[in-house]
Amino acid sequence: MTVLMEEKPRVGTKYIAALRARFGNSILDESWQAPDQVTVTVPLNSLPDVVAMLYYEQGGWLASVAANDERPLNGQFAIYYILSVEGSPDDPNPSQKAYVVVRAQIPPHQPEFPAVTPKVPAAIWYEREVRDMFGIHPVGMPDERRLVLPDDWPDGLYPLRKDTMDYRYRPEPTLEDENYEFINVEGEGIVQVPLGPLHMTSDEPGHFRLYVDGENIVDADYRLFYVHRGMEKLAESRLNYDQVTFLADRICGICGYAHNVAYSTSIERALDIEVPARAQYIRTVLLEVERLHSHLLNLGLACHFVGFDTGFMQFFRVREKAMKMAEMLTGSRKTYGVNLIGGVRRDILKEQRTTVLQLLGELRAEVATLVSMLLETPNIVQRTQNIGRLEPQVARDFSPVGPTLRGSGFARDIRVIHPYCAYDRVPWHVVSKDGCDVLSRTLIRAEEFFESVSLIERCLDTMPAGPVLTEGFKYKPYAFALGYVEAPRGEDIHWSMLGDNQKIYRWKCRASSYNNWPSLRYMLRGNTISDAPLIVASIDPCYSCTERVTVVDVRKKKATIVPYKEMERYCIERTDSPLKQQS
Amino acid sequence: MFRDSVSTQAVIANSKYAIAPDPLAPQLKAALLKEIHRSVYVYRVDCGGCNGCEIEIFAALTPLFDVERFGIKVVSSPRHADILVYTGSMTRSMRVPALRAYHAAPDPKVCVAYGACGCSGGIFHDLYCVWGGADKFIPIDVYIPGCPPTPPATIYGFAIGLGLLGQKLKTQHHVQGEDEHALPRHPQIPYALRVQVERESRRMAGYLYGKRIADTFLTILEQNPNQVQENVRAYLDKLDDPRLSEIMTRLVTLSADDQGEA
Amino acid sequence: MLKLLKEVLKVGEATLPYPFEPVEVMPGFRGKPHHDPELCIACGACAIACPPNALQMATDLDQGFQSWSLFMGRCIYCGRCEEVCPTGAITLSPDFELAVMNKQDLFEQADYRLAECRRCGKYFAPVKEIEYVEALLQKSGLADDELTSARALLKLCPECKRKNDVSKMVSLYQEKKDVPR
Repeated sequence: MTVLMEEKPRVGTKYIAALRARFGNSILDESWQAPDQVTVTVPLNSLPDVVAMLYYEQGGWLASVAANDERPLNGQFAIYYILSVEGSPDDPNPSQKAYVVVRAQIPPHQPEFPAVTPKVPAAIWYEREVRDMFGIHPVGMPDERRLVLPDDWPDGLYPLRKDTMDYRYRPEPTLEDENYEFINVEGEGIVQVPLGPLHMTSDEPGHFRLYVDGENIVDADYRLFYVHRGMEKLAESRLNYDQVTFLADRICGICGYAHNVAYSTSIERALDIEVPARAQYIRTVLLEVERLHSHLLNLGLACHFVGFDTGFMQFFRVREKAMKMAEMLTGSRKTYGVNLIGGVRRDILKEQRTTVLQLLGELRAEVATLVSMLLETPNIVQRTQNIGRLEPQVARDFSPVGPTLRGSGFARDIRVIHPYCAYDRVPWHVVSKDGCDVLSRTLIRAEEFFESVSLIERCLDTMPAGPVLTEGFKYKPYAFALGYVEAPRGEDIHWSMLGDNQKIYRWKCRASSYNNWPSLRYMLRGNTISDAPLIVASIDPCYSCTERVTVVDVRKKKATIVPYKEMERYCIERTDSPLKQQS
Repeated sequence: MFRDSVSTQAVIANSKYAIAPDPLAPQLKAALLKEIHRSVYVYRVDCGGCNGCEIEIFAALTPLFDVERFGIKVVSSPRHADILVYTGSMTRSMRVPALRAYHAAPDPKVCVAYGACGCSGGIFHDLYCVWGGADKFIPIDVYIPGCPPTPPATIYGFAIGLGLLGQKLKTQHHVQGEDEHALPRHPQIPYALRVQVERESRRMAGYLYGKRIADTFLTILEQNPNQVQENVRAYLDKLDDPRLSEIMTRLVTLSADDQGEA
Repeated sequence: MLKLLKEVLKVGEATLPYPFEPVEVMPGFRGKPHHDPELCIACGACAIACPPNALQMATDLDQGFQSWSLFMGRCIYCGRCEEVCPTGAITLSPDFELAVMNKQDLFEQADYRLAECRRCGKYFAPVKEIEYVEALLQKSGLADDELTSARALLKLCPECKRKNDVSKMVSLYQEKKDVPR
């Protein structure tokens, strides 16, 4: 039974009470976007303390940080720290789980704010991105490098400000080659290697640099965001708010539909639109179909890295059945494009239902066989147990999401913590393990696969009658809200504010891998370079993110470029280290 | 059309990686295609796509589609490539790497623009951080549209590029004929009822199936307005789909209400 | 190992024979947009709905043509054009064999004549669109006299419609007030 949103009681009031008790008059404003979403405005200087208090004392996890150019609205910039607050560790009965957004206003003549990163390490990438896109400087932030904008982008040009540039403006390149400065590694016995702007052949949308001592990885750094296209600005300009769903589909090639649902639900919450129950079930089915094909891809890669290539091909063969399911339900193998604001634009009739149920049955049987074969591969346990450990304390500091986090003992799954669509109406289980290693994460994905199969069957069996689309709702300018989804890799969260012209005023979409990358360094440390590809694959980042890896021996002060395929081969065969060959 | 601080042409011309046009290129490419026959090395350059295209190319390598049957192998270095496949909309960051890959691949070579992003920039075509398709900087020989192109479409595209199949699409230009008219469907149905039926059907079944269901219902209604209930029941019994029955029953009620009022 | 072998043998030959034999797509597959130029009334709804602007309308007020064009290379195969088209002129077909060597072959265009305003003679709307609306008006349940005046208004450009409204209001006012003309 769907309860109208206005009737649901507010969740999270105790966190606001705790904030008021600690900070008193510093809580300048409190506004609720949904029964479990509240935004509190605080003075700029209190920002780090308030965020740190919610993070460590009230069981908060940093979901996203969005800056917004609100000068046309109220004369200031604003920054929003979005936390999923789940109850303090001492609370014997942590039942209230809510999104608490900490907002602060920033004066336009002094665009800077006190960095939260020194207190909450998870904020590091977000604050770098705010500086890139808005020119608002995080004071006290240890990392001064660009994150998102390309090296050849001119200084002082901030794309997401409302008055700097049209979305189509393309400045002349400022340089022809890359000049990203990778970090220097220091430590006892390790000589500092001055690494200036080296001429790296980066034919790939992600560039890794591993710092090694012999074969052991000491540290790692990566340059990503080669795929930055400027989507957030596009959503504010050419597209209207109903068309942005098609853009959201194309954020990611594997979890596009999850982004689509996150965006659609953020707008629907902002406008208080009641999505019909049947549409919510259909969205659930499609989200789980996406999870199926994504996890099968990752399991296939896991096979590949432990040398079980036939398994790799077989996983991909059965994955085609999940693709067929998607094609049957939506008309396309990828880019489902089925959401509109207010519901979905395709129904599930008898033919689709029958085919999907049949394919599910086949998938369940075939994947069970393949998984058991993978686990019986001779060296699988040796290759993956205790490799790439994500220690629980590191996880708590950096807020990773998805199977990466659930492998370290935290049973955090947004489908249960902040239920959406039909997840609170259909029975299913969260899968988590406490091995902290690559093996745990792989096993979690295998088990989640079977949970998804059951979920889809249950949804199809109990799908409610009624419409699939709500039309004729009222548009409210400047309404804002959060939309969130547990994508195959973890939590996707979108923050949207509507404009006064049927377009988005601000859209901050945060993909799940964004929260997982910062902690990858710590997962790589202490392992050998032959395990690096396996560890990277275990966080299931966007596929083919790297073609080439630079390995820097900090002792010998030598940098070697190793083709990624060579790293892979070494990972699989464990003989003939690429470092030895090139010296 | 839109304000650039500098035109794309200037960027191409002033770059130290600019590609000089080669008048011999077509001949050399034809010779290449004749030579390589059934063994083709493909190098993939991801110029800032969402990775959907990457995964579909990957899927084309897997057992169900298996492009390796045709001797197509994906290699890990442009220096061994006969064919360069450009995916992604050519972001600013990937301009120089894309050109480097082009210069690294030995001549002659065939360049493929893959996906809507590769062909034109796709939905991102005019964004600030995107140059708008691979052919802005690279001379492209084959365009494979799709978002993403399915594995069979990929195989078809490679077959075109290798000269094994001829392309089907041809540019079209239609000019309105003298006696060309387009009239509304279901002219016998009152307009207000038609709109109501189409709206309700769309609300219940979405746009695609909603249109078809409404169309079917209105056809049945037009054929015999007095026997709608029976004819619809016969149609639904044949198809035996509970959801379809639910939707059509509502349409029958709508039309009965309307006739009741009339 | 034996288990794997058994599994692989059980599956048999998995590879589809495409392109030597055609491959079936699922019903409802979103492939190439197929435009039937005879059904099109050049209303532009598809161009407005198209997220990547693959569909565009261009107006030539000198020659009196409205052009519909589709660039297949930018199309994202979402199907919104099919959903908003009032006449069913554009539909998505199952065709996915779209690769070309010549970029020009990805473009389609259809030109439609514009009608001239009955009063001022300027081009203002496609002839076919006006015909379509006229046909809808027939079935809209208007009384006969209302229908006649509606059809007359249909042949005027927006500016002349406004002028027409103003002169009508003036007459009504003069009638009411019994003001000498």
